[in-house]
Amino acid sequence: MFTESTFVFIALTAIFAYSFYAVLVAGQLSLGQAGFASLAAFTAASLAPDPGDVGDLPALLIAIVIGMAVGAAAALILGLPTMRLRGVFLAIATLAFAEAVRILIINMEWTGGAQGMSVPKILEPWMAWVVLALVAYWFWRQGPTRYGRALEAIREDELAARAMGIDVGNHRLSAFIAAGAIAGLYGVLWAFYVRLIAPEDFGFAQAIDGLVTAVVGGSTAFVGPLLGSVFLTMVPEVQRAIGIEAGWIRPFLASLLLLLVILFLPGGLASLLPRRAARLVTGSADERAEVESRLSQRVHPTDGQTVVKLQGLGKDYGGVHANRDIDLHITGGEIIGLIGPNGAGKTTLVNMISGMTKPTSGTAEVLGLDPGGVAVHKVAAAGVSRTFQHSKLFARLSALENVMVGGHLVSKPTFLRRMLWLPSARRDERRLAVHAAHCLNRVGLADKEGVKASALSYGDQRRLEIARALASDPSLLILDEPAAGMNHVEADALSDLIGSLAQDGLTILLIEHNVGMVMKTCSRIVVLNFGEVIATGTPEEIANNPAVVEAYLGSSESEDAS
Amino acid sequence: MRTNLFKLTAAAGVLALALTACGSDDGGGETDGALAGEGTGDDCVIDGEVAVGAALSLTGAAASYGESQKNGLELAAEDLNEKEGVTYTLTIEDDQTDPRQAISVFEGFVDDGTSIIIGPTLSNTAFQAQPIAQEGSVPVLAISNTAAGITEQGDYIFRNSLTEAQVIPQTVAKAIETYDLQSVIVMYSNDDAFTESGYEVMASSLEESDVTVADTLTFSKSDTDFRALLTEAKNANPDAIFVSGLIEAAIPLVTQARELGIEVPIIGGNGFNNPQLMADAGEAAEGVVVGAAWNSASDNAENTAFLADYEEKFGSQPDQFAAQAYAALHIIDAAVRSGCSAERDAIKEGLGGISDMPTVLGSISINADRDAEHDAVVQVVEGGSFTVLP
Repeated sequence: MFTESTFVFIALTAIFAYSFYAVLVAGQLSLGQAGFASLAAFTAASLAPDPGDVGDLPALLIAIVIGMAVGAAAALILGLPTMRLRGVFLAIATLAFAEAVRILIINMEWTGGAQGMSVPKILEPWMAWVVLALVAYWFWRQGPTRYGRALEAIREDELAARAMGIDVGNHRLSAFIAAGAIAGLYGVLWAFYVRLIAPEDFGFAQAIDGLVTAVVGGSTAFVGPLLGSVFLTMVPEVQRAIGIEAGWIRPFLASLLLLLVILFLPGGLASLLPRRAARLVTGSADERAEVESRLSQRVHPTDGQTVVKLQGLGKDYGGVHANRDIDLHITGGEIIGLIGPNGAGKTTLVNMISGMTKPTSGTAEVLGLDPGGVAVHKVAAAGVSRTFQHSKLFARLSALENVMVGGHLVSKPTFLRRMLWLPSARRDERRLAVHAAHCLNRVGLADKEGVKASALSYGDQRRLEIARALASDPSLLILDEPAAGMNHVEADALSDLIGSLAQDGLTILLIEHNVGMVMKTCSRIVVLNFGEVIATGTPEEIANNPAVVEAYLGSSESEDAS
Repeated sequence: MRTNLFKLTAAAGVLALALTACGSDDGGGETDGALAGEGTGDDCVIDGEVAVGAALSLTGAAASYGESQKNGLELAAEDLNEKEGVTYTLTIEDDQTDPRQAISVFEGFVDDGTSIIIGPTLSNTAFQAQPIAQEGSVPVLAISNTAAGITEQGDYIFRNSLTEAQVIPQTVAKAIETYDLQSVIVMYSNDDAFTESGYEVMASSLEESDVTVADTLTFSKSDTDFRALLTEAKNANPDAIFVSGLIEAAIPLVTQARELGIEVPIIGGNGFNNPQLMADAGEAAEGVVVGAAWNSASDNAENTAFLADYEEKFGSQPDQFAAQAYAALHIIDAAVRSGCSAERDAIKEGLGGISDMPTVLGSISINADRDAEHDAVVQVVEGGSFTVLP
């Protein structure tokens, strides 16, 4: 039932599945891995030295180096133009690449065409398992690092990841290159085990197999691809062993089993294992102080210094003016309330300030940058952090992990050091954890650290967004309706929190429908209506401004009148 | 974290140990004594049952061939087990047209004491799986591998299927002579190992002749619409069209050629040697020339009985794959009985000594290179069935 090749193919299938896992953790659906594997296999098989001359292991190692380099280079070349594509469009583009490679290999003289190329068999089972162990180790170490969390954040919500200062394009490309390198590794191992490689060994069906293995195993936990491979490799072996007659019934049963797994374990087989959640590390008071001084080094603009300066800013959506002629000057330490009826253009305005929407007219300067002219993550790096009107949390990450992603900008990269078990990586991770715990604590969520963001109550999700935004140590904090779904007591606590943040030197821009809270919290209020600023002033001035009363606050009077 | 990882590692270790244990348990196989019998030839009596393993593509891309082969083997096993003296247990395994499965199935047969392995269906898979039998000193009889180099893999690898080099040059020569060809078009699917290597032999035979190849057109094995290519072929005004393709391509290609008014002979190879051609292409198949390893119209005693038995058991006509599979088990029986032993090395000796043995394929011999030698046949479709091209 279990022969030598079963072991080898469990390892090889798992390695191929890891090449899908490498991009699935970042939310990318690519089917180009078969193409990378094919290029790597044929190139390595023709360029690697004869094992008879240099010995089996050296020949294999050289082939692996060639194969991984070819795979990574192909991924880079394909990735540069295609990384802007999302979801099914990326899948189709990469599939087209794999098909192009297949056609190329069929028609090339040096590859032997459809009849394939013969390759010496030098891969021993132990070699395959050592390689698998190294690949699994790679992803095990990658998970709880700044890089690993950034990829997961991109998978969960790309826009929010950008707002947390993650350079999404670079991260997606590096994940894609990793996928290319591992697919290349698989191609080489395959070539040096099966004796003959042919273009159809790397066809569409094989790409789908790899994807299915990764998804069935679980694409959010590093053991997933291995579990998927054991499962899918063993199904035919077990069927053969228990004597199910060869023929259509076996693939039928295998497909049925696959259907059941996907139906009942949408997170893959890995969801059967307990998920290791990052633990809350509060640390001693001294440690907290040390961490905060280390991670919160930003010098905030002081009173009177410009934080935001908008001149004639406008946004047209094909003739519809979402914002028109907005002039606004915000200085350090202010708490600005932005109010106005629904559809007044409040969210468009903060989107322009945080760089997510490009203005169509006017100029903007935010912390020394033009937010319309640079990438969102650069605006975030300059010190702008925000929450969203509709929660954009990283749903499958725990509350603590969400906040740790928020700390992306203030923490150091730890992936490479974690691979090498350097103690400094552990120290940096601990610092970030302490910092995140501190932020959770500030919003009153310290006891919910292990709960998945999607499982939190609505009010808690609003608070978690604030904690996440705080973790990047911002100078300008934009809160888009943070009190929605909160009761009076919670809203009061939030109001106090905002006050204490301002005392720390943060500048705050608050959009809120709870006018009482805005009046109580803000030092200055800007009122928008139909995309234009209709009033600016202190809470008292606004409350007594007839235009505002008519446009917005007037609703209560008209109710009285009726 | 640490405990989980530890548990996982431990579990993986236990799994690995358990699997290795299972693997080594299977080794060794049956006792040798029971497989060596007494007597010779028809009088040979072997006490033990002779295990014959077959790795065929019953599902996946090559499933249609594997299915025919399975039928042929089952019919032959029934025939042989009616005869006194030697009993065969035939185990047919599916390689799913996947090298991983083929390798695994071959390893299984080597480990469980199988006397001889038949298959696999495709030549590419053969290069991947047959070396395992060679390393395990288990004889292999290939029944449909036509690529060059199959038997060069080792002294345990035999085949009863003629290579392209044995069939195609003869077909080309016969066609040129019969139809007095001057200028021809060659078409082949270049993404299939079988049809591509067939094309290579076809091209070199044409090159050696005086015939001009006006154009060479390629298609994919998954294509079903050949009108554009055929129009191009028609414009070259050839005397004949040579095609190296599988039966799946042959049927639409022949049909569409006749629709477009191409009346010149269409000449195909082993892939065309299938009764489905007449069944599905009907009238259009008339006049198609097929070079093949099996003469379905042969009236020798073995073939007549085979055609009748097959029709009775499966309700359809056999194709070349079924015939070669059927012949294979009879050849194995002859090899076993010649030394009256079903031990692996004895079968290997026996196969090497096969000479002028009457089979459904005609009188067959195994030569010093362990390849089969028998007459190939050039057939033409006439009145809805294959007849030998005179």
